[in-house]
Amino acid sequence: MPENPRANIPPGAGTDVIVIGAGLAGLMAAAQATQAGARVRVIANGWGQQIVSPGWISVCDRADDDVIAEVRGYAAIHPDHPYALAEDDAMVRGIEAFRNVAQQNGQPYDMRDKDGHNLRLMTALGAIQRPMLAPRGMANGDLTGVGGPVLLVGFTGWRDFFPALAIDNLRAAGVEARAVCIDLPANPSGTWDLWPGDVARLFDGADFRAAVSGRIKPHAKGAVKVGLPAVLGLENPVEALADLSEQIGAPVFEIPTLPPSMAGVRLSNALRRWLMRHRARVQVGHPVVRGVVANGRCTHVEVGALGHTNPFYADQFILATGGLYNGGILSDETGRLWEPLFDLPVATPPGDGREGWYGERLLQERGHPIHRLAGLRANKQMQPLGQDGGPALENVYAVGHLLAGFNPLTDGCAEGIALATAYKAVQTALQLDE
Amino acid sequence: MNTSHSVDVLVVGGGATGAAAAYDLARRGMRPLLVEQLDLSTGTSGRYHGLLHSGGRYAVRDLETAAECIVENQVLRRIAPFAIEDTGGLFIATPDDPADFPERWLAGCRTAGIPTESITAAQARTQEPALTPRITAAYRVPDGSCDSFDLIHAFVEATRALGGDALIYHRVRDLIREGDAVVGAHLEDTRTGERRTVSAACVLNAAGPWAGVVAGLAGLDVGIKFDRGAMIAMNTRWVNTIVNRLRPADDGDILVPVGTVCVLGTTSVHTDHPDDYRIEAWEVSKILSEADVVVPGIRHGRALRAWAGVRPLYEPPEAGHDDAEGREVKRTFSVIDHAQRDGVRGLVTVVGGKLTTCRLMAEQAVDVVAAQLGNEARCTTAGDPLPGPHAPRYHQLGGRLHKLEHGELPGELICECEMVTRAQLEAAIDAYGDQPVALDDLRRDLRLGMGPCQAGFCSYRAAGILQQKKGHTGPDTVEAFGAFVDERFRGVRPLLWGHQLRQMYLDELIYRRTLGLDQLAEQPTEEPAHA
Ligand SMILES: Cc1cc2nc3c(=O)[nH]c(=O)nc-3n(C[C@H](O)[C@H](O)[C@H](O)COP(=O)(O)OP(=O)(O)OC[C@H]3O[C@@H](n4cnc5c(N)ncnc54)[C@H](O)[C@@H]3O)c2cc1C
Ligand SMILES: Cc1cc2nc3c(=O)[nH]c(=O)nc-3n(C[C@H](O)[C@H](O)[C@H](O)COP(=O)(O)OP(=O)(O)OC[C@H]3O[C@@H](n4cnc5c(N)ncnc54)[C@H](O)[C@@H]3O)c2cc1C
Repeated sequence: MPENPRANIPPGAGTDVIVIGAGLAGLMAAAQATQAGARVRVIANGWGQQIVSPGWISVCDRADDDVIAEVRGYAAIHPDHPYALAEDDAMVRGIEAFRNVAQQNGQPYDMRDKDGHNLRLMTALGAIQRPMLAPRGMANGDLTGVGGPVLLVGFTGWRDFFPALAIDNLRAAGVEARAVCIDLPANPSGTWDLWPGDVARLFDGADFRAAVSGRIKPHAKGAVKVGLPAVLGLENPVEALADLSEQIGAPVFEIPTLPPSMAGVRLSNALRRWLMRHRARVQVGHPVVRGVVANGRCTHVEVGALGHTNPFYADQFILATGGLYNGGILSDETGRLWEPLFDLPVATPPGDGREGWYGERLLQERGHPIHRLAGLRANKQMQPLGQDGGPALENVYAVGHLLAGFNPLTDGCAEGIALATAYKAVQTALQLDE
Repeated sequence: MNTSHSVDVLVVGGGATGAAAAYDLARRGMRPLLVEQLDLSTGTSGRYHGLLHSGGRYAVRDLETAAECIVENQVLRRIAPFAIEDTGGLFIATPDDPADFPERWLAGCRTAGIPTESITAAQARTQEPALTPRITAAYRVPDGSCDSFDLIHAFVEATRALGGDALIYHRVRDLIREGDAVVGAHLEDTRTGERRTVSAACVLNAAGPWAGVVAGLAGLDVGIKFDRGAMIAMNTRWVNTIVNRLRPADDGDILVPVGTVCVLGTTSVHTDHPDDYRIEAWEVSKILSEADVVVPGIRHGRALRAWAGVRPLYEPPEAGHDDAEGREVKRTFSVIDHAQRDGVRGLVTVVGGKLTTCRLMAEQAVDVVAAQLGNEARCTTAGDPLPGPHAPRYHQLGGRLHKLEHGELPGELICECEMVTRAQLEAAIDAYGDQPVALDDLRRDLRLGMGPCQAGFCSYRAAGILQQKKGHTGPDTVEAFGAFVDERFRGVRPLLWGHQLRQMYLDELIYRRTLGLDQLAEQPTEEPAHA
């Protein structure tokens, strides 16, 4: 048998950075490392939380004025908070880097203005959320200074968006709105299960968009904006949005609805294509089962394949496995919390077992202790801390949701932290500090 | 507004006992009105284990209950076949269980008349491959699983067909006493606050763990002890036969496959309140680890939801076991004729027992009522089947999927976990006419939101449809939505680790970030009782 010339090359040889996880933090870390010239491989079990999230970028939702200034002020007095670890220029540059990469990939994310004010975006229930950036389709729905009338459009019979639910609540927020449901020109499945992705694919067709616009236009008279569910195309959202706005005669915006999130799918697809065009490897659907460590460094990770594992080697490893939601931290019934790949120490809520994890009501103010307190602690290089308080491993960095110290569901800063920490980790891993 | 009317017998409590009693009264020609403070089957009868007992569980300690169970087991199978799945039952002993127990148990079963069939460990594992290989003895018994909701609804429908009536969301606020007789009650609509008065020749108190409270409304004292038990529903059935531990009754002895899930339980914890539904962490651990002995690996499965029920334990003073507690107190029931006991006519209390024996409890209670009213008709509830399908009405997804795929269930899926369609939801909403409808009512009607995601996706959809149908305002809809979220969370809160923790994270993400429900929903001012 002829000898396989590659038999002795370990898989992954020639990789500088392995990023584990394909959430916002992992994908952005991969993109920045790639831009810096590193050879990058992304290995993830599945896509991250962007697939189920509304789609906008919360940096500090509660800031009334300058968001960056508010974050700086907060970080100054909370030295353990991930924003303080990343330091503020990492946040600013991380956001900048994200906007650039997204823009280059046909996914522009817009802000309200140059002074760093938060947007005012409506939810499908008519509540107001205040992220700093949003995909153009959502940012078009900025309600700052808008009293209406706004037209909300749903699709008759579609289960994932009920525009009438928002009307009264929007009025309470000072925005006049009216709701209408139109029949979609075509329903390919004709039955009971139209997913957001099914609808989004229809909106990729120019003829379909023209037909929909024709049905909306008669209702849009006098409307200052027209809101639709966030399913306006998958492939070319900018073009879809421009077409619809022009044909309807009023700016069209997108309202997030039930997962899966098309904004997250668009971004994930675009970043994957971009990474692959730039010769990074992207393996989504591959579980990393273990990190292998020698002399305080990770040498390689083992990736599960059918019935066995394959080793992947690299110099640097960025751990972006998400928190409790995505498998970065696991939990069991006895109240044990652990990080499964390197067995890194996990900060844990005080108290016995699971007793202190959850409050009484799901939507209670400030959320639940488990989501704020459980996670990895890290130093300013984004290296996770070991038992002794020093860096656990020389060449492993932890980013995004995996970090302790913030509640991604209530604090309004989840995406900002993903971007800031991803940026910082790449800077230190590749020693890019100017 | 204060409306009043008069009936022969006012039945307090829309659980299994009250519903069976209303039916029995109607068949004997005494016009009943059943009142239930919440919805039917939301008391103990909706918070139980789901087991149609063969009686095997009581064959050693409580022969009387064991004998009642086996008889009533057969009666219910005959009269309510639609509510029962004939899973059969197994009693399994492991090397950890007392070696002399099977002998005593067999003797008890023989005395009580419970048929048993000895099988080998291999046969048991052929029947239920998930069972532990560590089996030292195994017996088949005629256990079954029972859908209390279907059973109770059938009793109530049959009652209505015979001229009786039932009022849900009505609480008995006060019993009206004239001298030495109870002559009626003041009712309050628990949703609107509206009051009405009902006069009745007799009041039958079937208020389960609240029976003492209700008797207290007539100034009478019924000493009831309370014993709380927790149960956990696992994501899939795991077994298709009911599995019992063959040992003296203890925590976590029983696995009941029912509908789409497997219910593990239970515990026995003394409490001072009839509505103490707490579940402590040790109970969850205990139930899972005990179940894991019988079905290894089950503790790592996905736990969907947990709930607790309160057993009212009553021992008539003549029994003389004043200080018996928990599992020591017998599970048989008592009918208290307050005319005899307290010299107050017009009130009969029935308390204790099992869901399996509800018809018998009703029969004996109605016998006492009939005697007071001079009615001589005999009980006939064990004879004719209840109106309803003659086959089990399994709540299994396969059935719903089949209908969906063959066009028999039109409309989009609103709840994907449980395959509830828009057409079903709209029909269920219509059925309430102009009465108020909570999302939780629709859940009980359709299983909406009862699957793995615990309403994370369907609650928004159902809120949208409810608003469309009822023309509610935004704030009303938000309130209904928030109430449903709270209700669903209560049952997952004890189970938040692993898969279900991740699920709740996703649900919370949808509610807070995608929808902003937390900004809109009022924070309740009062804390839930005993939370
Ligand atoms: C457009 C957009 C909108 C967003 N909106 C929100 C929002 O509204 N709310 C919010 O909280 N978040 C939102 N996010 C995500 C949010 O930013 C996350 O907090 C952030 O992505 C942190 O992400 P993460 O990468 O640390 O983890 P996650 O996004 O949770 O991703 C973790 C990744 O790691 C992978 N992984 C885990 N374990 C393993 C393993 N053993 N082997 C291999 N792979 C593994 C997972 O499969 C997944 O790909 C959004 C993201 C985007 C891009
Ligand atoms: C943990 C546990 C597990 C169990 N498992 C099983 C089992 O597997 N098999 C079995 O056969 N039995 C089981 N049982 C026992 C069984 O559940 C009960 O025996 C049966 O449900 C009792 O029914 P009930 O109608 O008497 O009481 P309930 O179902 O409690 O009905 C009483 C009703 O009265 C209503 N009410 C109270 N006060 C008022 C008022 N003032 N006005 C109007 N209405 C009022 C309540 O809302 C309630 O709905 C179990 C019990 C527990 C606690």
